[in-house]
Amino acid sequence: MTSMESDKCWQECMDVAVQIARSAGQVVREAVKQEKRVSTKSTPADLVTEADHQVEELIISTLRERFPSHRFIGEESSAAGEKCILTDSPTWIIDPIDGTCNFVHSFPMVAVSIGFAVKKELEFGVIYHCFEETLYTARKGQGAFCNGLRLQVSKEKDVSKALILTEIGAKRDPKTLKIFSGNIEKLLSAPAHGVRIIGSSTLALCQVATGAADAYYQYGLHCWDIAAAAVIIREAGGVVIDTSGGPLDLMSRRVVAAGSQEIASYIVQQLQPISYERDDNGHSTQ
Amino acid sequence: MADPWQGAMDHAVAVARKAGEIIRDALQNDMKIMCKSSSVDLVTKTDQQVEQFIFDSVREKFPTHSFIGEESVAAGQPCTLTDNPTWIIDPVDGTTNFVHGFPFVAVSIGFAVKKELEFGVVYSSLEDKMYTGRRGKGAYCNGLPLQVSDQTDISQCIVNSEMGSNRDPEVVDRIFSTMRKILCIPVHGLRGVGTAAVNMGLVASGAVEAYFEIGIHCWDIAAGAVIVTEAGGVVMDVDGGPFDLMSRRVLAANNKTIATRIVKEIDAFPAERDDAPKQEKQ
Repeated sequence: MTSMESDKCWQECMDVAVQIARSAGQVVREAVKQEKRVSTKSTPADLVTEADHQVEELIISTLRERFPSHRFIGEESSAAGEKCILTDSPTWIIDPIDGTCNFVHSFPMVAVSIGFAVKKELEFGVIYHCFEETLYTARKGQGAFCNGLRLQVSKEKDVSKALILTEIGAKRDPKTLKIFSGNIEKLLSAPAHGVRIIGSSTLALCQVATGAADAYYQYGLHCWDIAAAAVIIREAGGVVIDTSGGPLDLMSRRVVAAGSQEIASYIVQQLQPISYERDDNGHSTQ
Repeated sequence: MADPWQGAMDHAVAVARKAGEIIRDALQNDMKIMCKSSSVDLVTKTDQQVEQFIFDSVREKFPTHSFIGEESVAAGQPCTLTDNPTWIIDPVDGTTNFVHGFPFVAVSIGFAVKKELEFGVVYSSLEDKMYTGRRGKGAYCNGLPLQVSDQTDISQCIVNSEMGSNRDPEVVDRIFSTMRKILCIPVHGLRGVGTAAVNMGLVASGAVEAYFEIGIHCWDIAAGAVIVTEAGGVVMDVDGGPFDLMSRRVLAANNKTIATRIVKEIDAFPAERDDAPKQEKQ
């Protein structure tokens, strides 16, 4: 495929992603009103519902029919034992319901996240806020948008004027929580303007892309939480890196994203790590 | 018998909606930021503008009523609740969010007569959500009735709290030890959207089971307290005692079972009462 052909093809993929995200969002809006069957995964704080499975099945079956040679990494398929390894093949990286705990509580911060990589490079991202019906999109090299409006990150470089978002992650043992709260304490003593937790990593990352938040960091999120948002933030002018300060490692279960390199670097320096098993179970493709 | 305070409540809703418009317009423009008690306790021109707008509008219609407003108190007005019908106002709850454009910014209007809270209006202006509660008549959001969560198992709960603007290391330590204790219960999760009024709206709507904070002010919680109670929830002090509007402390929950479980984990710290006699400014 020539470069122009593949460009056209990925644009077509992105258009389909947008359509399917909207349909999936509709399913989520209906499902939130129904009784929910909730199970737990790795810890009592790591929830999954029938809706997660249904929505992922809907997305993957639609995409598989349309693009039979493509590969898929989805949250629920991975939980069911599918390998989570990124190859050079065009690969869809899907979180069918980001913010499952919020969904269970009918707390309306829930998103569908669809990322897409080719030759291990992230090409586009689509995140759909199911309750606000807000669509965040970005295609590599073509900017980031929210409901058609161009996105621009905050250019704040001074952490003492920063609003920072994070999420807790599934581990809830006292040792992990001490590190988790210690990280926030250090940032608050910068003194940052504030730290917020909203319960959906993809929507929190979108707040960085819109400029409403200056940074986001987390230990414990998955490749399907970062894949789409990384493109959106970068295309809005921001940075997305590893918590060590090095380049983003999609399978590493950790991320720092910010409007400016200065704030990203500051956060990197403050963080004490919390380790989670890699999504690719150590089969690093880096 | 006609509700003697229905007119006041209708006016509160109208004025909150208009104030929300002012906030949305201001977000399009450049905001002037000043500092209040510290570099993280922010106030803007919009806070002052909105409060003035609300005062002028209410004073015109209800000239004998009293006011407690965040910015007027900051400017030296007393913060004492008398028996007189009193409007308790936070013009922009979530000023830090407002400065950043983070989408939770509320106008909070509480109303008390003979020191009893009669109604509360919280307008989450960027979400366009109007929360209301009238004593004895239920709570609503955009016209739909609000009902707290029916959860009685603490391990299935989401609890909201905030880190506040006090950066004193001892206070920060207590805030985080409480946070860790609650997470260890365990609970489903901890959230904080950055405004007390909206946090209370989330309890009332059943999206989260509880919200607590030490360090907030009477104008942050007066309206929310009515809304949570009228949605079937409970509002009390963080030590499990009765709610004290001027105490700088609040715990709002879907029911007493969840509330009393949370009380056990809260590591309280002192906060000067809102109605404490004013010291000479240094």
